Amino acid sequence: MSYLSISRVTKQFGDTVVVDDFNLDVEKGEFVSFLGPSGCGKTTTLRMVAGFEIPTSGKILLDGADITDKAPNQRNVGMIFQSYALFPNMTVAQNIGFGLRVRKEPENMVKQRVEEMVSLINLEKHANKYPYQLSGGQQQRVSLARALAIHPQVLLLDEPLSALDAKIRISLRAEIRAIQKKLGITAIFVTHDQEEALSISDRIVVMNTGVMEQVGTPFEIYNFPKTRFVANFVGSLNTADAEVVDPAKGLVSMDGVQFESAEGTEGRKKGDKVKIAIRPERLSFASEQKKANVVDATIENITFLGSVVRIQVKIGNTKFNMDTFNNPFLELPGLGSKEQVTCSKEAVLVLDE
Amino acid sequence: MSIFARIRRIPFWSWFWFILGALYFLLPLYATVNFSLRMERDVIGFKAYVRAFEDPEFLETFLYSNFLALMTIVASIILIVPTAYWIRLRLPEARRIVEFITLLPFVVPAIILVFGLIRIYSSPFKIPLTDITILQPLTTFEVGTDILIVAGYMVLGLPYMYRSVDTGMRTVDVRTLTEAAQSLGASWFTIITRVILPNIRAALLSGALLTFAIVVGEVTLASFLGVPAFGPYLFLLGQHRAYEPAALSFASFLLTWAAMGLIQLFTGDQQVSGAH
Ligand SMILES: Nc1ncnc2c1ncn2[C@@H]1O[C@H](COP(=O)(O)OP(=O)(O)O)[C@@H](O)[C@H]1O
Ligand SMILES: [Mg+2]
Repeated sequence: MSYLSISRVTKQFGDTVVVDDFNLDVEKGEFVSFLGPSGCGKTTTLRMVAGFEIPTSGKILLDGADITDKAPNQRNVGMIFQSYALFPNMTVAQNIGFGLRVRKEPENMVKQRVEEMVSLINLEKHANKYPYQLSGGQQQRVSLARALAIHPQVLLLDEPLSALDAKIRISLRAEIRAIQKKLGITAIFVTHDQEEALSISDRIVVMNTGVMEQVGTPFEIYNFPKTRFVANFVGSLNTADAEVVDPAKGLVSMDGVQFESAEGTEGRKKGDKVKIAIRPERLSFASEQKKANVVDATIENITFLGSVVRIQVKIGNTKFNMDTFNNPFLELPGLGSKEQVTCSKEAVLVLDE
Repeated sequence: MSIFARIRRIPFWSWFWFILGALYFLLPLYATVNFSLRMERDVIGFKAYVRAFEDPEFLETFLYSNFLALMTIVASIILIVPTAYWIRLRLPEARRIVEFITLLPFVVPAIILVFGLIRIYSSPFKIPLTDITILQPLTTFEVGTDILIVAGYMVLGLPYMYRSVDTGMRTVDVRTLTEAAQSLGASWFTIITRVILPNIRAALLSGALLTFAIVVGEVTLASFLGVPAFGPYLFLLGQHRAYEPAALSFASFLLTWAAMGLIQLFTGDQQVSGAH
């Protein structure tokens, strides 16, 4: 039996179904992200775990106990908000101690735990400052410490990094992950940023309009997207209209250019309209040894993106992006030149139209 | 940039209107002060002030009005803070209606309010459908009248108190703070007393001081309910004396300014005030 179990949960606001038949089992100590575009129901799902919303139907079990209808202050759940939500009238130390004092813990225990937490987030020097005297990143760390101080059974984070600037966002996300691992705490992390989800999670739940599209490790989600939505939302993707030529061999044709796909054509018939999708980093210039998919291409544009060089090529009538790692000895073809590009059978995803 | 350079950059017409406005306000005040200092012929002095403050009735009515103001403020806070809080939290769609209601005291004159109060509360309370009286008419005994007038003052102060509190709650994100506190295990009582109230202190103070200013100078309700308050006293004084009322009105001006200064002090730097 899993530690946190969300089963058949549906949430309606009026007639609008915002979360539809959500099912998820989270193991103790696992870090799970909810990933999806704005408005897809991530926050609502998280708030049902926190107790701020009650599911229209379905159950939520935490460590074997049914918490579906429990009041938020009766659950033992830590919540982190995008806006930090620190109490402006309290110092860092008072903020962190708030939950323990509410629980009427003895004062010396509170003091000790606060000290522990303050050093966990490396803010010893700032313990007596007020939130407005801290930077955004520091405030969010305080809010993390405040949530962790009460030994919550689950830590819930709702886009905790969205209000921070890029550098802090990356360092704080590493810090959150490190602390979560160190304490072995179960965490659910909501984000609309795919890179964030991929880098921080044990597992990702990709959501779209209230529905779970796919649940899997970052590796699975990125490399084996099950739906077109997931393929598009996570990572960048070249897509093009195509037609099934030979379902048995996995052959599809795009503007007369044939591609061979390792999977995705079973259950389809010759002539079916499909989309093919190839990630930019899976395309490369064809070398001597022949591989499965070698096609003619015209170089249209070359853009330096730092560590990566993005080359736009035209295959048939469709433009594809092709990414290759940058290095000083890279020999790039001239614009307009004709080259052969290739990708493996596994790189060609065949998706419904 | 120096202050002088800054002042020089302000356009002529801005200065013109500013000075005109200042004169409109300051000239009558100057006249009042000047007049209040001339009670004795050919001498500038504080005789009028001494006379006014010596009158025992002055202190009595002033203290009584202060007591009424304090009661009004406490009752208003107890009633309005949870109301405004709940509306922000759970009933945002009721905001418009409540805001309209809070504006009614501006539209309905105090005289109407007091006649309404007298009409309703000058007959005894009976258990419905019987003749058993549970309470004498509120207007017939002192505590009853005090309750009545405090209730009336709460209505008069409602626009100021509600708006201050509501604005205070807008500047701190009460909704998220509430949820943060709830997830940490706090009860409603803890949330209101330890999270919400301390963070809207500045707003409460400005609401309280405005209510205070209204109550202490109020005449209509006090005279029709026949209570020995400061407003009617000042009014009567004005009809029988010349110099003392001028002295008292300048003194109350100073009091008002002190109150405004306090509001500025506490609201000017919201974050610092919230920090203590
Ligand atoms: N209290 C509410 N009442 C009505 N609709 C709501 C409420 N909360 C959220 N919604 C709607 O539910 C949908 C999902 O919202 P949310 O869970 O916040 O999405 P996300 O966090 O993925 O951006 C949105 O369309 C939003 O407008
Ligand atoms: Mg959200």
